[in-house]
Amino acid sequence: MIQLHNISVSYQGENPALSMVNFHVTKGEFLYLTGTSGAGKSTLLRLIFAAIQPTVGQVIVDGQNVTRMNRTQIALLRRSIGVVFQDFKLLPTRTVFENVAITLEVLGWGQKDIGKKVYHILRQMGLEQKLNSTPLRLSGGEQQRVALARALVNDPKILLADEPTGNLDDQNKDQILSIFREANIRGTTVLVATHDRRLLESSHRDFVVLDKGRVVEDTRERQ
Amino acid sequence: MSVSKQQVRPRLANEGFWGRLRYFVGRALLNIRQNPFINIVTVVTIALALLIMSLFLLVLVNLEGAAHEWTRQVQVTLYLEREPVPAELAALRAKILELPGADGVKYIGKDDAFKRFRSRLKGQESLLEGVSSDVLPASLEITLKRSHRDSDNVESFVGRLRKVAGGGEIQYGEEWVRRLTTLMQFARLVVTLLAGFLLISVLFIVSNTIKLTVYARRDELELLSLVGATRLFIKAPFLIEGILQGFTGALLALVLLSLTYFGFLYNAGDFFRFSPTSGGLAFLPPLYSAAILGGGILLGFLGSLTSLKRFITF
Repeated sequence: MIQLHNISVSYQGENPALSMVNFHVTKGEFLYLTGTSGAGKSTLLRLIFAAIQPTVGQVIVDGQNVTRMNRTQIALLRRSIGVVFQDFKLLPTRTVFENVAITLEVLGWGQKDIGKKVYHILRQMGLEQKLNSTPLRLSGGEQQRVALARALVNDPKILLADEPTGNLDDQNKDQILSIFREANIRGTTVLVATHDRRLLESSHRDFVVLDKGRVVEDTRERQ
Repeated sequence: MSVSKQQVRPRLANEGFWGRLRYFVGRALLNIRQNPFINIVTVVTIALALLIMSLFLLVLVNLEGAAHEWTRQVQVTLYLEREPVPAELAALRAKILELPGADGVKYIGKDDAFKRFRSRLKGQESLLEGVSSDVLPASLEITLKRSHRDSDNVESFVGRLRKVAGGGEIQYGEEWVRRLTTLMQFARLVVTLLAGFLLISVLFIVSNTIKLTVYARRDELELLSLVGATRLFIKAPFLIEGILQGFTGALLALVLLSLTYFGFLYNAGDFFRFSPTSGGLAFLPPLYSAAILGGGILLGFLGSLTSLKRFITF
């Protein structure tokens, strides 16, 4: 589903964020990406949804070469990838409902269908009471779930999450983890970047460790 | 697998040109509702900018009118050595009217000239006692087309007239025509320069205001791009919003201009009644008002377009 071949990413005047990384995620997999801050986790995720392009190497997502795509092709690719950002990226002037509905509006859905689908997913997330609140009135955990709802509302093929449990308490972490699991069971390929060791240990999933822009460990290779 | 996914996919309500347009207009209206303050600021800025432009245009239109009145007085008088017989007069008149720039020819006979002279001496008619109407020559008063009322054109007209008319003295107030021409040329230069400066400042102010409104929503632009919106999908509502802002601003400017105009007429009507250019104060012709509306729409559209170009870099 996702393949990175000999990827290097350098920002001007800095050490390379990624150097000669080879990495893959198969369809339907649930994989963690871990490492210290600055190891290159976010950069790797950003390559997959084409927010940045590699300095060297090829990125293949769902059989398509991302590095050769034009703007329209990138837009179409992003519709099949749900992304949960570290800073949530919720729009403060829009309600919870409108924040989640954006994903479906972009796809061209009608208002009626959007209403049903958004209500359904917000109920799954336990947020049906907060439909008309604006994000600023929500707790950190609730904001995180809104961001997740926005990423998952169109049943994406791939879900990418960047430090999704950053500042959450254990109860909220468990809730987020179970949402990931459910999405994965429904067929979504899940890739979560985290430096939270406890999250890794409690979920018993494979993980890849990055350090200074290189893959230093891949638990899948042990099998 | 993919076939079954296709089957459960809901019908896309926003497909096709009209479906999309409906969605984009709806989105633009919603954006305006959700960001009322920033929209009011933009509309008022556009309205004030266009109001300044249209006030300037209003002054220009009225000055043009006044100038037209003044140049109407530019005329060439050909004094005839003797009173012509009707056939001669008709032939001469036809020849003159064939000259480029000639607009009208009026014959003033000796008697008419004497009557006119007498009326100008009102109260001092006694000066003319014992003077017969024979003293004054008959003349032809020639008015010129508007485009031929400047000094160069008048002089070349007089040259041609001289050839046609043969003898006879020609008068056309050379000094006055020259001064009027210089004044008009200077006025046109000043007006063009002022209009240029005004237009540049209006474009600058409006484009910066719109840039700020787009800047305030750059997170939205980025997010839309990240969830897979095409450039058209991101830009269209903003462009429609810009058009609506421009149109509303222009409409507001025209309303304010009308209020200013009628308020001014109401308070200064007496002044214009006694003004030498007694044509009164004209409002903008419909074409100019339409141009202001069109200008507003264009301003809003282009302002949004250039701002979006700057902020959509992903």
